[in-house]
Amino acid sequence: MRYCCHQCAACLLFFFSFLVANGQDTARITAIFSGSSFPGFVRVVEATSPYHFYYDSAETDSISVSIQANRATLSQLLDQLFQNTLFHYAIDAGKRVFITKKFSISTALPPAFFNPVKSSYSAAEKNNLLTDEPPKDKLKAAAANKLYEIGTKSGRDNKTGAVLAGYVRDIKTGEGIIGASVYLDTPSIGVNTDQFGYYSLALAKGRHVLTISSVGMKDTKRQVQVYSDGKLDIELQEYIGTLKTVIVSAEKRSNTKSLQMGVSKLNIKLIKQVPVVFGEADILKVVLALPGVTSTGEGSNGFNVRGGSTDQNLILFNDATIYNPSHLFGFFSAFNPDVVKGIELYKSAIPEKYGGRLSSVLDVGLQDGNKKQWTGAAGIGLLTGKFTIQGPLIKDKTSVIAGVRTTYSNWLLNTVPSDAYKNSRANFNDVNLRVSHFINEKNTIYLTGYLSNDKFNLNNDTTYKYGNKNANIKWKHIFNNKAYAVFTAGIDQYQYGITSTGNKVNAFKLGFDINQDYFRADFSYSPSYRHTISYGLNTIYYKLHPGSYTPADPLSLVKPDILQAEQALESALYLGDQYSITPKLSVNAGMRYVLYNYFGPRTFNNYVAGLPRDTATIISTSSYTSGKIIKTYQAPEIRIAFRYALSDSTSIKVSFNTLQQYIHSLSNTVNVSPTDIWKLSDPHIKPQQGQQVSLGFYKNFKSNTIETSLEVYYKRTKNFLDYKSGAKLLLNSHIETDVINTRGKAYGVELLIKKNSGKVNGWLSYSFSRTFLQVDDPIAGQTINKGAYYPASFDKPHNVNFIGNYRISHRYSMSLNVIYSTGRPITLPIGIFNLGGASSLLYSDRNQYRVPDYFRTDLSFNLDGNHKVKQRFHNSWSFGVYNLTGRQNAYSVYFVQENGKIKGYQLSIFGTAIPFVTYNIKF
Amino acid sequence: MKYTSLLLFLCVVCQCRKPYEPAVFTKADNYLVVDGFINTSAAGITTIVLSRTKNLTDTVLSIPERRATVSIQNAAGSSYSLQETGTNGVYVSNALVLDNSGQYKILITTAGGSQYQSDLVSARQTPVIDSVNWQQNSKGVQLYVNTHDATNSTRYYRWQYAQTWEYHSQLETIWGIANGLVYVRTPAEQVHICYSTSLSSGVLIGTSAALSQDVISAALLGTIPQDDSTLAYRSSFLVTQYALTAPAYFYWQIIQKNSEQLGTLFDLQPSQLEGNIHCVTSPNEPVIGFMSATNQQQKRIFISNADLQNWQPAAGGYNCALVNVPQNPANFLLVDLPDNSYAPWYYVSMGPLVLAKGVCVDCTLSGGTNVKPAFW
Repeated sequence: MRYCCHQCAACLLFFFSFLVANGQDTARITAIFSGSSFPGFVRVVEATSPYHFYYDSAETDSISVSIQANRATLSQLLDQLFQNTLFHYAIDAGKRVFITKKFSISTALPPAFFNPVKSSYSAAEKNNLLTDEPPKDKLKAAAANKLYEIGTKSGRDNKTGAVLAGYVRDIKTGEGIIGASVYLDTPSIGVNTDQFGYYSLALAKGRHVLTISSVGMKDTKRQVQVYSDGKLDIELQEYIGTLKTVIVSAEKRSNTKSLQMGVSKLNIKLIKQVPVVFGEADILKVVLALPGVTSTGEGSNGFNVRGGSTDQNLILFNDATIYNPSHLFGFFSAFNPDVVKGIELYKSAIPEKYGGRLSSVLDVGLQDGNKKQWTGAAGIGLLTGKFTIQGPLIKDKTSVIAGVRTTYSNWLLNTVPSDAYKNSRANFNDVNLRVSHFINEKNTIYLTGYLSNDKFNLNNDTTYKYGNKNANIKWKHIFNNKAYAVFTAGIDQYQYGITSTGNKVNAFKLGFDINQDYFRADFSYSPSYRHTISYGLNTIYYKLHPGSYTPADPLSLVKPDILQAEQALESALYLGDQYSITPKLSVNAGMRYVLYNYFGPRTFNNYVAGLPRDTATIISTSSYTSGKIIKTYQAPEIRIAFRYALSDSTSIKVSFNTLQQYIHSLSNTVNVSPTDIWKLSDPHIKPQQGQQVSLGFYKNFKSNTIETSLEVYYKRTKNFLDYKSGAKLLLNSHIETDVINTRGKAYGVELLIKKNSGKVNGWLSYSFSRTFLQVDDPIAGQTINKGAYYPASFDKPHNVNFIGNYRISHRYSMSLNVIYSTGRPITLPIGIFNLGGASSLLYSDRNQYRVPDYFRTDLSFNLDGNHKVKQRFHNSWSFGVYNLTGRQNAYSVYFVQENGKIKGYQLSIFGTAIPFVTYNIKF
Repeated sequence: MKYTSLLLFLCVVCQCRKPYEPAVFTKADNYLVVDGFINTSAAGITTIVLSRTKNLTDTVLSIPERRATVSIQNAAGSSYSLQETGTNGVYVSNALVLDNSGQYKILITTAGGSQYQSDLVSARQTPVIDSVNWQQNSKGVQLYVNTHDATNSTRYYRWQYAQTWEYHSQLETIWGIANGLVYVRTPAEQVHICYSTSLSSGVLIGTSAALSQDVISAALLGTIPQDDSTLAYRSSFLVTQYALTAPAYFYWQIIQKNSEQLGTLFDLQPSQLEGNIHCVTSPNEPVIGFMSATNQQQKRIFISNADLQNWQPAAGGYNCALVNVPQNPANFLLVDLPDNSYAPWYYVSMGPLVLAKGVCVDCTLSGGTNVKPAFW
């Protein structure tokens, strides 16, 4: 059992002379070791004496040998060497020397027992230790077998705990791995790495086995001997499917062990397996397949979480707020899959560091760029092309990643043989750039930029455009093992515009934008292994231009109408603690205090008190100068979550949280192409408030390869805005007259069965969710559905998602996804009548009817090139069919007057089976 | 890249617009529509029009609700019945003397047996119209109403106006034709100058709720576009004013918004109506309409073409398609019309009779009456 240790290549100098004694038992050793490694020591002793050493090179690599021996026996030498350490030795009759740690062995026992390591590990870890190898075999040194000593032995403090911190990185690229779990089996404690791949784990002093797992990476273990606080960076190897094919699953265990509930974490590798239209991996499509997430249909802007509206989701792209996360009528998500690292979606227990939206937080993480070498990826599909490059600007210090995506869909629209599509245009592009600079062990800086543009025109003279622009700078500072901070500053912009130039006289340009500047300071502090405290402050300065309507042609007679800009500041302080009360019971409690100021310059209408707000009830206007605070709202928010582990594979989680939202969107769904307007809370529009309680039950089967979960939730919202009868939403300078406050309730059940590994893997989710609103506005002057609860416009009771992958061989795989959901509610015109000389439409009750149900099946085949790890280029093909059944799902339903009659139309885009093919290359 | 050529797959992108016609478009129930108000003017006549909502696919102009029993009831339970007149679902009361401060409701029993009634509404006092005036500007002639209530209690108003205008046939004739014989029309039979009346369309409402005094100043009632033919000679505008309650005002406001155009980017959101008339026999059945009780106030003004600047309606509008008919040597009054759409215009001396399209010589064929209204 002589290990060859490659770490010892950097051996220290040692000087020796020797003299071999005659007698076997009296072999004497004379040598001077000055800072020699243990293998170096062994080499010398073995060369000069009949002894043969058996030891674990990883275990002993912390030993530094500095001994002067003059005709010493080996026993004397080892006694001196191992004095005050955990090492023991035993010498048997065959002059075999066994070095063990922590315990001694008796040479009289049968040789089968000479496997000291084995007994200290659980059976589950056997494979990593290669204990089945015959004793004389050389064990390939792996970090997993090495004992890492953390802290200093001498640094004895009186504390029982210590904090271990460091980065989990990809061994190949040096990229930090987000959401990797670092945990101990006993006691059951663990943490997930943050957005930088950083972790900080408080644990008891002593010997521990850390398990580190992350999706797409090989699981690994680290043996640590913790003396005091210390640092341990862990490098993970990419999982390469050359062995028996197993898809390594994301947080195999964290489903039941993590304190978070209602959170879904997905790594980009998993996301890329899901077939989507035109073969382009799509983050939002995968998010939509998660339980509790629905969309109101194709082309809808975003998604709905647990019966929330689309504006109630905070979509963060590396801390930048993305107001419109989709491209090309929602067929592509705004996130280039080649630069994304992974996503986290919080549905119920939203961490206290986030706020400002009622339903969910979708955190999309970006890759840092390869720190070690230049690599790239390119993909060509029928509609899109993309290119990504990443590499070190300064090796191991500064890395960059840049990605570009664009579409060339126009040629496709032009090939359609009908004249009707000749003038249709649809374009999008996005650009990502991220530079990470590692200053030193304690400081890292990240610069991120994002730009996206969309432009489309569905065969009419009206062009729709929108785009996101985001940039931020982030500084991560590690104070010590127990504390670190991240400071972020950035700007976000979202704008959309509609231009109509068909008729020069009426040619107009409609513009809208949201701008925000923000600063965040997030601190994390782990005083003991039982507590992880996070605290910090966020502040966002909003500036909205809620609409401008200007002539788009010199001949145009359009009268410019520019709505007043809006300004507000949303600031929050938060404090939270993750507390492990017992290994089975843990609690996460947090508090967030939000202060919202709406300020000038702005002119407001004052309305007659107690009467419905209406243009007819304006009594006066008030003007406020720039910077003058017009209205302040403040409120505390509570976040509490409990987890109780019933067994190793079963847990129950309960959470409760309250949230506030100060920015509202109103979706105008009666048009051919839906447009949204955003509005800040102001003196008339109160902030939305939400409360959610949820209960989850989690059980894993078959050694955690099958995860199941059942979550139920109940939500209440207040001051959710719905529109009044006959509301005008676009370009309304007094929107408060056209909206109505509602209170809402939402409840649902979410079921998930997920199989993470095997030839067949994937998940099936079912969500039952209902959302009802009720008018809660004493001065509305009108009610909706006679004041009874009515379904919200995004109420979709049944949602089924299936995502399945079948791995035919290492190189071929097949994916299928099936989506079904109830059609969204709609208010229909159901009659015409004459009253008081006016011909008027009779509408049904609000949201009484539903558009046809949504159903889609996509199928794709993926062909990977060969799997040679060392190959310069890796290529892959994917081809398949989007919307296999060719069902015409409604993109929008709208009504027009034609020849004096009201006609309804349903617009479906891609309402047929679409074959696609994509070629991807990685280098 | 060399692979691009492989990508030219045949692909069909379909952007399909197909009619969306849920069953409710053709099968929706036809709900009762109650139009009118309880007239508490002295010896006022209450007119209620009952109809049914039409389905979106219906082509009929309206579906009158006939043979219903309609009555007004006051708070004390006294009833005043209305009689159906004509075939358009119009129900008219006798000239009634209703207490202008009482409370009233309307009761309806349809021929099908469904019973409807309105909430008991308090009669509102409508103040007199101070003035109706007009102004000519780039948009045409705009008509305004001014009123006030010194007691500050009316606040919510609704108006309707009837425009009666004089118009002339394109061609003037003294000849008429009856039983195939041409004759000279008497002055009462003249068909050159006619009068036509139309009611204002759309919902005209206003409020002074936001003002410290109950004053309506220059509320716009309507616009007659520049050079419109209704002002080619002279028009009368009879403005009727009604006081509303606040709920009635907001009801009419929804009707007002709801009658605008569909299919534009700036479409309004769908609306809902919740009136004060309910179905007694089937409480969930919607009923369209909002019953008010008030006296009405009226004011008439005239506008002559001479009052206007540069108002030059395009002449005619009809293709008169002249035809000459040779004189019948036996009896020059005996005319054989090519078809009934022709009428005599004039005789050429010793020559043929010149016929023109009837609409060109007979103004009554354009819908008006040749009887000068009493107020003219």
